[in-house]
Amino acid sequence: MHPESPRQAVSFAKRFRSPYIAGGTWLQPSCERDRQWPVQLVALNPDWPEFRGIRETEEGLSIGALTTLDELARHPLMALYLPQLNGLIKRVAGPGVRHLGTVGGNLFAGGDLSALALALDTEVDLVGSKGSNRRPLTRWLPDRQGGDLLRSVSLPDSRGWRVSLEKLGYRERFSPTRATVACVHDGEKVQLAVCGEGGPGRLTVTEAMLRDEGIRELTDLAIVVDSELETLGWHDTRLRLAVRRMLESGLMELTRDV
Amino acid sequence: MTSENLQGAVRKLMTLDGNSVRNATSKMDLAPRIEGGLAYATDQRHLPGLLHGAILRSTCAHALITRVDTSRALNMPGVHAVIKADDVPGLNRFGIVIRDQPVFCDDRVRYEGDAIAAVAADTPEQARAALDAIEVDYQPLPVVSDASLAEQQTAIHSSHEEHGGSNLLVRETLECGDIDDALSRCTVIAEHHYQTPRQMHVFMETEGGVAIPDGKGGVLFRVGCQSGHRDVEQLADILGVAREKVAVESMATGGAFGGKDELTVQPAAGLLALKTGRPVMIHLDRFESCRAGIKRHPVSVKMTTGCDAAGRLLAHKVEAVLDTGAYASLGPAVLENYLDHATAPLYRIEAYRVSGRLVYTNNGVCGAFRGFGGNQATFAVESQLDELARGLGIEPATLRRINLRSPGDAGSRNQTVRWTAPPADVLAAAVASPLWSRGDTDNGRWLTGTGMAMGAQGNGLGDGLPDSGGGRISLSPAGRICVEFGFTDYGQNIVESITRSVCNGVGCREADVEVVLGSSRGPDSGPTSASRSTVLVHGVLASILPRWMDAVRGHAARVSGQPEKGLEFGPGGIFSDGRQVLSYRELAESTNPGGMTANASQDFPVAPDSEHPVGRYLQLQIATVARVEVDRITGRVRVTDLHHVTAAGPVIYPPGYLGQIEGAAVMGQGMTLTEDMTAHEGRYQADNLDQYLIPTFHDAPLQRVDVLDNTPEDDPYPVRGVGELGIEAVAPAITAAIEAATGVRVRRLPVDPGDLLVAMAAQEQNL
Ligand SMILES: Cc1cc2nc3c(=O)[nH]c(=O)nc-3n(C[C@H](O)[C@H](O)[C@H](O)COP(=O)(O)OP(=O)(O)OC[C@H]3O[C@@H](n4cnc5c(N)ncnc54)[C@H](O)[C@@H]3O)c2cc1C
Repeated sequence: MHPESPRQAVSFAKRFRSPYIAGGTWLQPSCERDRQWPVQLVALNPDWPEFRGIRETEEGLSIGALTTLDELARHPLMALYLPQLNGLIKRVAGPGVRHLGTVGGNLFAGGDLSALALALDTEVDLVGSKGSNRRPLTRWLPDRQGGDLLRSVSLPDSRGWRVSLEKLGYRERFSPTRATVACVHDGEKVQLAVCGEGGPGRLTVTEAMLRDEGIRELTDLAIVVDSELETLGWHDTRLRLAVRRMLESGLMELTRDV
Repeated sequence: MTSENLQGAVRKLMTLDGNSVRNATSKMDLAPRIEGGLAYATDQRHLPGLLHGAILRSTCAHALITRVDTSRALNMPGVHAVIKADDVPGLNRFGIVIRDQPVFCDDRVRYEGDAIAAVAADTPEQARAALDAIEVDYQPLPVVSDASLAEQQTAIHSSHEEHGGSNLLVRETLECGDIDDALSRCTVIAEHHYQTPRQMHVFMETEGGVAIPDGKGGVLFRVGCQSGHRDVEQLADILGVAREKVAVESMATGGAFGGKDELTVQPAAGLLALKTGRPVMIHLDRFESCRAGIKRHPVSVKMTTGCDAAGRLLAHKVEAVLDTGAYASLGPAVLENYLDHATAPLYRIEAYRVSGRLVYTNNGVCGAFRGFGGNQATFAVESQLDELARGLGIEPATLRRINLRSPGDAGSRNQTVRWTAPPADVLAAAVASPLWSRGDTDNGRWLTGTGMAMGAQGNGLGDGLPDSGGGRISLSPAGRICVEFGFTDYGQNIVESITRSVCNGVGCREADVEVVLGSSRGPDSGPTSASRSTVLVHGVLASILPRWMDAVRGHAARVSGQPEKGLEFGPGGIFSDGRQVLSYRELAESTNPGGMTANASQDFPVAPDSEHPVGRYLQLQIATVARVEVDRITGRVRVTDLHHVTAAGPVIYPPGYLGQIEGAAVMGQGMTLTEDMTAHEGRYQADNLDQYLIPTFHDAPLQRVDVLDNTPEDDPYPVRGVGELGIEAVAPAITAAIEAATGVRVRRLPVDPGDLLVAMAAQEQNL
């Protein structure tokens, strides 16, 4: 189905219980795997206002949900606001998928971008049948619904922030994510998030502990991170160990020369 | 290592680098290969009247079939035929060693993917839709999933008399000396368990091809396969027709590595073609290929190895279990090769008892795969040597040097061996690898280490299997020197090495040679497997060329009126005193078609004077030095360098040699680090290449391939095949390097970064 407007897309999706399709790079293999193709798909149109492209706003950046991963990686504004992103994107899928795959699809599927977006306190702009609404990603992601249509995401002005990003895969490139870890320091506080095999999540308990005890007192960090990860759904103890060490390494990077 | 030793080695040591490859690469065949322009079997969608076939596969790992109803499917749009077990006119069984696999299951399914029925329809989509309309009722049976316990469970082949009552398919033991006495005299003993994965071949072109009926009850198969002549025998029996009625053309095949040695789509395609009277193509998609295709045998082994205080190997005990899955395929031959390699063929050991069991389970089907069980054994053997060296407090290379066999020594099975170089020289060259001089470093996060392992490999099918092959040479009507073999070109570019050999032998140009491969109506060369083609090509050409050239020269003398003695073969034709007197075309025109033809065949060389033929006569060797980086934070391993010292006779075609060694090594790296088709209750846990992870270009290490050729002048079979050598020692070299970096020895493949991390963390705590 090719709806004429975002609102019509929402109503089609709800009425026919059909998924949206953006780049199709996540949907296609999922359907092939299950040998179950939806009868109808709701095609999203990148020409709809604010759905594609990156622009500066008063708060920071607004990124259209249909912006492709390639466009994101190459955009000069990203180099200015988040120079660390390029290194991560090179490790997201392969060139073909990055050419078609979109930011919205990636966030919806809990892909590699979600850790960074969560750590940055990103807000999502959703199209509803009655109008738009804006919500923190941390609230939308855990209970996102198939009918939610993501128009754009808003990032804070992160120029000058320290950001550390790391992806753990099974191989160098083109690997499913085992764990992606994002550590952000906005000059005052540290924000941490993960995504991967245990699912996306913000590590708020760990952040609180760091706030209370300071970034240099990490004695109990291991225990806190471990139990918080487990609560989020990270059940493989060995992977938790890796994530914990990735977080520690990220924090070291943030605090180097501070 | 003594310096003379090294000198000796270095004298004949050369590195195959980019230049040697570039200079030797002909433009002939490369472009179509790179552009995907070769005509593959699965490209033949233009055939008039072509139908598309699809196979219904079991959704249960082990179950009785209580009902198969195809009536609804038969009435689906576009459907021309639906067939099942009772539609097989001949033998409803196949299998290279034991015919135990049904074309279509009649009473029972033994793996998730077993074939139950097949459909031919106008389009692939219609064929698949019809599959969905076939109703099958199953009565589930207990799943045999753990190979080590399989023998205690009810047999999955109980209806077969020959292995009724047990899931044990074959048990075999090789023995030498008094193992108990030898063990009692050991100063150091290493006893460990090792586990290797169920690896998938991941050829680019998944299994497929077309069966074309001839209207007279016969069928021509154009398929990706490895042994057209052998397939003819099996297919004729299945179709219930005389062998002359069946022909196989294995055109260019998009990779095989052993995975197309067994029949794949041919039985179903052939039956559907006969039933409909129209050509039928079946091409598995990647999901179906993952699910139904043959895999490498997972091996679980306990090895007990001991030496005396001077490091001399005294005793070696092996107890291995190989999981062949639901059907035998080439499993019995793989077991035999595994056991041979598990005797540690490069080393003198006073006594060994090497036993292995091949068991049936409901975990898919395993069969031939590059290395053929040998590399699984070498992983454990070489790891054991490192353990003993550590126990003695000596260098791993020193322990090997003490025990390596010398040229002139018999092999580990007491068979005569034709060596290509002294094993000590191969070791010496590996010890001199520049990778060692970079040292084991720790940059805070990435720990680096270097390790080494050796391996031996024999060419040919192995013990007791009939192994012979032939070829033919003729002058085509167009005036080209036509060379025919039954082999398949599945990417190894055997065409190029045959062309080279003919040009060298005859003195003609590449453009004068036409190589025709893979037709079952042509000469029977035996299977394209076991690194045997190059040996046979060279042997057959050595016997055929002089005879054929004499005959052609005699004919040329008669036609040209020139004295035969002064006539020479050259580019484009026959020369006398440097002047061309006849072109090959003129020669061809002067004789009847097929007039100047010569055939030859030979038995594959096996060790003479042995009571039973022992295959490992033409011995090859490799030492692989690996350098790795291990991430202290996550346990992830990167292989940065592989340096191979190979001794496999002279190099005929450098790009082919390099391609085989490097390609096989990356395959070995995959098996070491990421590849494993794990099964849970008989269900594979990965179904496509986004879950089953092979190395990418970014994972491939820098590689260097050295060639050490000290093959004696009087060796009658100097040219050897290197299709499998490169995979032999990669896994133990990588795990040795990981140990050098981290202090942790990994004995279960693929290396689990989580386990490695936990072991590294435990070590850090103990420091
Ligand atoms: C081979 C391969 C490798 C991959 N590797 C990685 C990797 O390394 N890391 C990684 O993070 N991902 C990976 N992916 C997953 C994924 O394809 C990408 O992350 C991509 O960004 C998804 O975007 P898309 O536009 O193609 O999504 P689609 O497939 O079009 O959609 C994905 C889901 O999101 C929904 N959706 C899409 N857009 C919107 C919207 N605007 N509003 C609401 N819902 C929406 C769809 O309905 C669907 O449910 C890989 C995929 C493949 C095929």
